[in-house]
Amino acid sequence: MKFRSILAVLLAATAVSAFAQTPNDEGLQFFEAKIRPVLVQHCYSCHSVQARDAKKLKGKLFLDSAEGVLDGGESGAVIVKGKSAESLLIKALKHDGIEMPPSGKLSSEIVADFAKWIDLGAPDPRKGDAPAKPKREISLEEGRQWWSFQPLKSVEPPTVAAGTSSASSIDRFVVAAQQTHGLKPNGPATKEKLIRRAYFDLIGLPPTPEQIAAFVTDASPQAFEKVIDGLLASQHYGEKWARHWLDAARFAESGGYEFDGFRPGAFHYRDWVIRSLNSDMPYDQFVRMQLAGDVLLPDDIQGAAASGFLVAGPYPGQITAKTVERIRYDQLDDMLMTIGGAMLGLTIGCVRCHEHKYDPIPHQDYYALAAAFAKTSHGSRTLDLDSAATQQAIEKHQADHEPLVAALRTFAANELPKRFESWRAAELAKQPDAPRWQVLEPVSLEAERSWLKELPGGIVAHDGLLNPGLKIRQRGQRRAVGNEEQYRITLHTHQKNVTSLRFDLFADKSLPQRGPGLNGDGSFQLVELKVTATPLGLMAKDAPVELKLKPVFAAFEDKDQPLSNALDGKPATAWVVRETAKKDNAAVFELETPLAGFAGGTELLVDLKFRDLGIGRLRFSLSTEPNPATWAGDVVPQHLGEIRAILAANGNKLPDALREPMTRWFAPFDTETAKVVRTVRDHTAAAPRPNLSEVYTTVAGGQDVFFLRRGEVDNKQGKSEPGFMQVLWRGDGPAVPAKTEPPIDPRVALGDWMTNVDRGAGPLLARVIVNRLWQHHFGEGLVGTPNDFGVQGDKPTHPELLEWLAAELVRGGWKLKPLHKQIMLSAAYQQSHEVNAENLKIDQANRYLWHFQPRRLDAELIRDSLLAMGGNLDISMFGASILDNTPRRSVYLRVKRSELIPLMTMFDAPEPTQSIGERISTTVPTQALAMMNSPFVRQQAEKLALRIRPSKDAPLGAAVDRAYQMAVARLPTELERSRMLAFVEDQRAAMGGDAVVATDKALIEFCHVLLCLNEFVYID
Amino acid sequence: MFNFHSPSELQLPARRRFLQETGLGFGSLALASLLNGESQAQTPLDPLALRPPHVPGQVKSIVWLFMTGAPSQVDTWDYKPELQKRDGQDLAGADPKTGFFTTSGKCLKSPFAWRQHGESGSWVSDLFPHLSQHVDKMCFLHSMNLRQNNHAPASIELMCGTNRPGLPALGAWMTYGLGSLNQSLPSYVVLHDTRPRGDDQIWSAGFLPKTYQALALDARRKEAVDNLARDGKHSDAQQRSQLELIKQLNQEHATTRPTQADLAARINSYELAYRMQMAAPEALDLTKESEVTHKQYGLDQPECATFARQCLLARRLVERGVRFVQIFAGKGVGGDGSVNDVPWDCHSDVQTNHRSCGLHTDQPAAALLADLEARGLLETTLVIWGGEFGRTSDSQGAKGRDHNPNGFTIWMAGAGVKGGFHYGATDDFGYKAVEKKIHVNDLHATLLHLLGLEHTKLTYRFNGRDFRLTDVGGELLGEILA
Repeated sequence: MKFRSILAVLLAATAVSAFAQTPNDEGLQFFEAKIRPVLVQHCYSCHSVQARDAKKLKGKLFLDSAEGVLDGGESGAVIVKGKSAESLLIKALKHDGIEMPPSGKLSSEIVADFAKWIDLGAPDPRKGDAPAKPKREISLEEGRQWWSFQPLKSVEPPTVAAGTSSASSIDRFVVAAQQTHGLKPNGPATKEKLIRRAYFDLIGLPPTPEQIAAFVTDASPQAFEKVIDGLLASQHYGEKWARHWLDAARFAESGGYEFDGFRPGAFHYRDWVIRSLNSDMPYDQFVRMQLAGDVLLPDDIQGAAASGFLVAGPYPGQITAKTVERIRYDQLDDMLMTIGGAMLGLTIGCVRCHEHKYDPIPHQDYYALAAAFAKTSHGSRTLDLDSAATQQAIEKHQADHEPLVAALRTFAANELPKRFESWRAAELAKQPDAPRWQVLEPVSLEAERSWLKELPGGIVAHDGLLNPGLKIRQRGQRRAVGNEEQYRITLHTHQKNVTSLRFDLFADKSLPQRGPGLNGDGSFQLVELKVTATPLGLMAKDAPVELKLKPVFAAFEDKDQPLSNALDGKPATAWVVRETAKKDNAAVFELETPLAGFAGGTELLVDLKFRDLGIGRLRFSLSTEPNPATWAGDVVPQHLGEIRAILAANGNKLPDALREPMTRWFAPFDTETAKVVRTVRDHTAAAPRPNLSEVYTTVAGGQDVFFLRRGEVDNKQGKSEPGFMQVLWRGDGPAVPAKTEPPIDPRVALGDWMTNVDRGAGPLLARVIVNRLWQHHFGEGLVGTPNDFGVQGDKPTHPELLEWLAAELVRGGWKLKPLHKQIMLSAAYQQSHEVNAENLKIDQANRYLWHFQPRRLDAELIRDSLLAMGGNLDISMFGASILDNTPRRSVYLRVKRSELIPLMTMFDAPEPTQSIGERISTTVPTQALAMMNSPFVRQQAEKLALRIRPSKDAPLGAAVDRAYQMAVARLPTELERSRMLAFVEDQRAAMGGDAVVATDKALIEFCHVLLCLNEFVYID
Repeated sequence: MFNFHSPSELQLPARRRFLQETGLGFGSLALASLLNGESQAQTPLDPLALRPPHVPGQVKSIVWLFMTGAPSQVDTWDYKPELQKRDGQDLAGADPKTGFFTTSGKCLKSPFAWRQHGESGSWVSDLFPHLSQHVDKMCFLHSMNLRQNNHAPASIELMCGTNRPGLPALGAWMTYGLGSLNQSLPSYVVLHDTRPRGDDQIWSAGFLPKTYQALALDARRKEAVDNLARDGKHSDAQQRSQLELIKQLNQEHATTRPTQADLAARINSYELAYRMQMAAPEALDLTKESEVTHKQYGLDQPECATFARQCLLARRLVERGVRFVQIFAGKGVGGDGSVNDVPWDCHSDVQTNHRSCGLHTDQPAAALLADLEARGLLETTLVIWGGEFGRTSDSQGAKGRDHNPNGFTIWMAGAGVKGGFHYGATDDFGYKAVEKKIHVNDLHATLLHLLGLEHTKLTYRFNGRDFRLTDVGGELLGEILA
């Protein structure tokens, strides 16, 4: 502080001394002669402290001080020093866009003077002795007094007049308000209306006639409570209520902007919301997970799906150097705006450029919040859909494996010798000689980024790719998948004097461009091939030997990228097969020194290192024939060679130590041996793997967040550190995460602050969510602006009720389902929709809830109901999103930002670009056109007609009754029934022809009418 | 206009929030008259009801000929002799961050021949033999500039006033502010063939009610409007009797719910829809136009038939009271290597590309001007021509031009603007706007003004903020007004 004031003095001194000597003296003279008189005469009357005091100040612009001129007014800066052409003042004087002074244009000489003055640097001696601009000072203390920023109060439901003593807590608040205003609430709605209301409110589907009948005939006082319990337990509850939250979360599955790239893994977030609501996850946890699920549950797909919330917003697919930083801050802004609107009911977006104009949110709070997301970017991860289950399966597999191996050992010790000996004596001599190439069948397969499997004939095949960074469990160990592909293939042999190796690569239609490489164009780049020989057997003491391979041939090599590159030990070079891809390939190597072979057998470890992806199909063979090696000769399995080699080395006898390995080689000649060998091998191959799925979520990335003056990326004012909104902070010390060791992740800290009722934003968080619950039950929240609880928003109609509900939520462990139940059990919720003139005069807008407010169904519910009418709603849940030619529920429809589904947007499904707290309900002819003419609605009418079609002798009236029950949950009145029957009759007559066929067709017309009724798409 | 069946004078809001929002834009007058039961004929709940302008406006309709992909200013309307002279020389101040790719920094002269036209002596390249005959109607804005340098964000910025998606486009604001002149047709129509890059986001209603969203018509599709045609097995008489029954039942339903004005609106919407079934095909039926007209627009010529169809459709729609028609120019048949959804995007070869795009658009656009004028419609219609940004004055590769948002030309012709007038200027190379730079907010403020709307008063409250098309800016371009 001290330092700064000294500096200021120094600067001032320099400035003063400069003034005295520079041509600015002239400038000041020019100002006095040409500028000041004009300002006084033409401008001060509207742009001065005096004008302000006389309440005549215009445009918040002061021209009576140098400071005022520099500060500018409402329209921004009025001068740019030295640049008259860019100065608003000159434009205004020229009457270019703005006209100043308004009384008439000044002479062009005067305008030229002003231009010259600005070009001189606008020298101006006038001291800003008056405040140049009235600035609103944000007072946090005052701000905390705003109703929604206060701590949660404990409120007792008011005592209301006699006769209502049994009223629920909610009703006591509602009735008290009604009594204050002289309103009398309605009585209860009919049971038919009530059950329809409850079904749509909780699960978004109409009740069936059977469900209605069950409720209507249930005379117990708990009848409605039972319905509510059943609906809250239904899986459809999550589907209905997820949609409300997805609006607030601006959820979509594409990036918007230029190419609107689709995000295949984005649906996991939608599924997570549905699951969380169905399991009644406490709302505070629901919030914390969305802010930091990836940190709280690392490597768990549910955690990653939850933080998909942060990155569900639009993001450009094409970014240029000019726009990259701006876009990053736009992305942060998108996160903050959504968190603000959806969770806290606050408009934080404004604070990006300046202090909040209405709410007590200082400019720096925005950047403190943004800093929590500095290291958060967006992307796809591949994770196990159920890692616990995978883990269990792996453990079970291992446990199951041991007895099989033991059985093999027992067989080898007890059964094998005699079977082998009798075969050897009788059959071995009849077996053919081995040709040059013997295929080495792999013993085990490992890869860095892939799954490998063995195909018949010793072929190693690629069997699925893993994403780098993915954490998987292999051989009981957790490891992170690396970037570079590497294969390790383990082979065994007992043969002596191995002279050459052969490496086959196969094309296959299952591979990209037929392979053999796995890259998109069928290519591969083999950086390194290494073969190490180690002795087999526990007692072996010989040292491993790396084989010296001499490349003899390759069937195909790209120019300048030969096979020898894979053997030169240089990581920069590789055997590249790109131009020569798409066909089988092979390579032959001579061993510079033939491999003598270890006494107890030899293990060959083949390591292949790739750039990018590996090879899709490959095989290794060996030869013991003298070099030079050649392609020539058949290729056979290695087993005869192995048997002969073992016998040759052991005096034509099978030594005890080699009984177990011999099971492998002997299996082709003996069915019993084959059985035990195959049992172990098949079980090994069936080792469980994680059930992987791509999820669009938060990933590490981004960079430090800077405080931006006026929100401009080229106006950085120093790094921002994570912190909270000060007005919602009641802890000790500054509103920043507590210092801990290890340091807490800033997003976890943000979630803790948001959900903390005592020190953080918890009270506001609770108020906002209970208001949403109320809103979707009554059509309107207690606060009419569900996304704005700030100064510009509505104030609650029932402040104490809102407070009580919020406290009730917290008291109940933030669980939403009990709150739904309390709301729906209130008389306020259950009352009828009728209006009476007395009440209407007092409260036309029904703010005090004296009748149930009818409302139109949301787009998704209209479509789902239509499908339900047709009887073909597919109720399967979850999974990748789908286009609208499906009978599944609308919450699963694809949300691609540039191609929204017409039927949904037509009925006011919102644009998923910003948090939406409340949908607008419009009525436009395109909706009517859809109901009248769309093939979809027509199909549902046809199907409904088939469902209600009366049996041969049944009266048509019964069909009409059934259709009414299905569509609007009630029987038609006498008048309606007779009208409908007359209509059917008219239509039938008009169609003529066969009476039965005509009646069926006429019923379709009737059903179509029913679906077009307002009553069908309204609840009341 | 039409009358709602109004069950009683209790014409009250179903959703007080929507009403407040609607009311906010226009002061409390509408709300007050509604609550006093004065407004019977049109409930303000009808978002398309005709509304009085803030001030008398000269423009009733706008036709925006959107040159998708962005034409080059220095090859069309902004003649730069200095650029012609310095072909191949260093372009002073060339900024590598201007475009989307990398440019050479060397001047690329326009490959087209330039000539002065009309009494105004306006320079036009030979890409426009037809349009150049109308220069004295045109008001050229040479100093347009934007912040975004890629197609979709720039198109969004140009139409919605900011580069971020989710805000309403000009056409939506217009309809919100003024209501619809024809209740049987949508008020905001987009005509395209390949959907332009950025798609629905360029004609979004944003947070405004979806009613204000453009109806996008694909010129290639047979059925232009969804659900306009009855099911084939369904006769008019059948539908009529259905509608009568629906109306009767809906009216009974509404009677016991007198506070639900939306129920009445919905009853009426079925009648409107029934009328639209007839009105829309009629409006879109070009066989109603004479062969002379077809030829005038160029419908008989393959290289411009698509754009000709769109321009003629635009005239028919404007005649029928459509407020805002925006045509996204599609691809010509020039075989210029350009991309369908951004046809003017001349990265590799400005000459071939622009020649083809010129052929595709010139004659139809000129015919539209002439036709509107002949019918007296140009007195109430404003035609706008332009792309989403300009091109670099230096070359990309040997013969192409990259994106350049720092200076470009659009022109307007018709109601309320000066003809043969040039406003603002780019530098000597046409690279950057330097004189009277026009921010997109200024353009919008001026267009709204021409329509009779004051841009600072046309607001909509969303998530706690009163939004404007012009955000926090916008200055009237007073000089260009006739």
